[in-house]
Amino acid sequence: MRAKAYSFLYLVLTIAAVLIVLKTLNWLPTMIQKDMLRKFDSVDEVQSKLNIRGLQVPSYFPESIMWPPSEILAQAKPYPAVLMIFNDAKTRDVALVISESASDTFSENSLLPFVQITRKVPFDLKNRKALLEVGMCKKDEPCSRLSWTENNYRIVLTMKSPPFELIRIAEGMLP
Amino acid sequence: MSISTFFSSFAGMYVAQSFCHSLIASILMDQALSAWKIDDPVIRQRFRLTVVLFPVFSFPLYQAINPDRGSVLFRLNAIFDVNRWLNVDLWGVITFGLLFLIVLAITSLIFLFQEMIPILKHTLESRTMEHEGTRRESDPFIESASRTLKIETPQVLVVEDEELVIFSTTGKNPLIVISTGLTQALTQDEMHAALAHEIAHIARSQRPLLLAVFFLRMILFFNPVALIEFRRVVRNEEKICDDIAVLLTHRPEALAEALKKFYTVRKTPEPSAQPTPLFTPVPLEEYSYNIQLDGRIARLTQDPRHNARGGWILLFVVFLIVASIDYFVV
Repeated sequence: MRAKAYSFLYLVLTIAAVLIVLKTLNWLPTMIQKDMLRKFDSVDEVQSKLNIRGLQVPSYFPESIMWPPSEILAQAKPYPAVLMIFNDAKTRDVALVISESASDTFSENSLLPFVQITRKVPFDLKNRKALLEVGMCKKDEPCSRLSWTENNYRIVLTMKSPPFELIRIAEGMLP
Repeated sequence: MSISTFFSSFAGMYVAQSFCHSLIASILMDQALSAWKIDDPVIRQRFRLTVVLFPVFSFPLYQAINPDRGSVLFRLNAIFDVNRWLNVDLWGVITFGLLFLIVLAITSLIFLFQEMIPILKHTLESRTMEHEGTRRESDPFIESASRTLKIETPQVLVVEDEELVIFSTTGKNPLIVISTGLTQALTQDEMHAALAHEIAHIARSQRPLLLAVFFLRMILFFNPVALIEFRRVVRNEEKICDDIAVLLTHRPEALAEALKKFYTVRKTPEPSAQPTPLFTPVPLEEYSYNIQLDGRIARLTQDPRHNARGGWILLFVVFLIVASIDYFVV
């Protein structure tokens, strides 16, 4: 019985050790390389610390969206990328996600996942070729997504709403 | 395509994550075997096979469960994100990703030259090769052993050679080849033990499971952990066949004595390890290159009772732990 208890304890300690080592190994690269993906407090901090130029920030926001972003994630390497998450002013749920990235592989669809896409059409966004997707998110809530390329950055806006407000936000990001 | 783009693609994520998953599985399975002091080779082999096979499916399975597992937020909150390391610059010149790719390339070459090509060569040879020698008349021991293991009685061919040689070919017409040197060197009990070991190999090679395992293992040709673990599986296979031989002969000491003779004959063991294909002819002599023959002899001469207590339950529990941790390793 005692031998079994020791065996069990040994295994538990091994699992704990493996988890601690994995967590440490996960943290170590952020210490070695400061420009990896991490959280920032403001867009200004992103621009100053990562020296990312040409970041597009919306100049228009509907009242239903809270400013500033609830979360900002950014990296300079292996390619520049920024992710801004905005909450709904009333429910505090995620309502808008803006991603700007120099690579197509940077994706964040888990926050506002589309359950169904009902329309997917090309859209003229101030003379830029954009793609507009309209559909439904979870709980049958309307969702829309607008994506285009600006100065080698892939910009994707996803919002929990019909596309009208989203288009106005996107137009407010352009010069 | 840049290295970071490759490791962000499905193929790249499969390569990197299957490596991490197999490494974690290997560490935890090893520690579980050690904690529970399990020395039954059959149970040990199941643990090792889990390490080899689970990473083949883990990444696609996790992605099917959660397609957003590769997303930025999931990676940020993961226990371990391998891409963090792969994107680290070394003196601004090369990334860890490039070093990792070099390791994978070396592993692939080892797999190609030490596993794939020898196996193909042996398979082709076993189909075309005509062994010159004298066919031995039916042996009651071989017939009885084959009946016990429910296989067709293999033929025994004696070749003129002073060296100690014994190997078996599998397939439709299994054959055991022994040298005249061996017939002179071994006593009857030892010869029976050696033959029983080969009959065990023939019987086990006829199980489609082993063949399936090898083909699945080939998918992870680039994975150094899978390479090492598969070699451990092959070593374990020898111990399993030793145990079957003992069950057939009831004389562990006879097999130990036979192994000792092989051990002493090889005065200068060659260092290069070549894995033993499971379903192709491989001389028993070759095993001394890569298998700890003395370890096999020791376990035959020691207490034959194996500890396999709770092996299945432990395997299941550790597998669940490994699968749960690996889900958060991206």
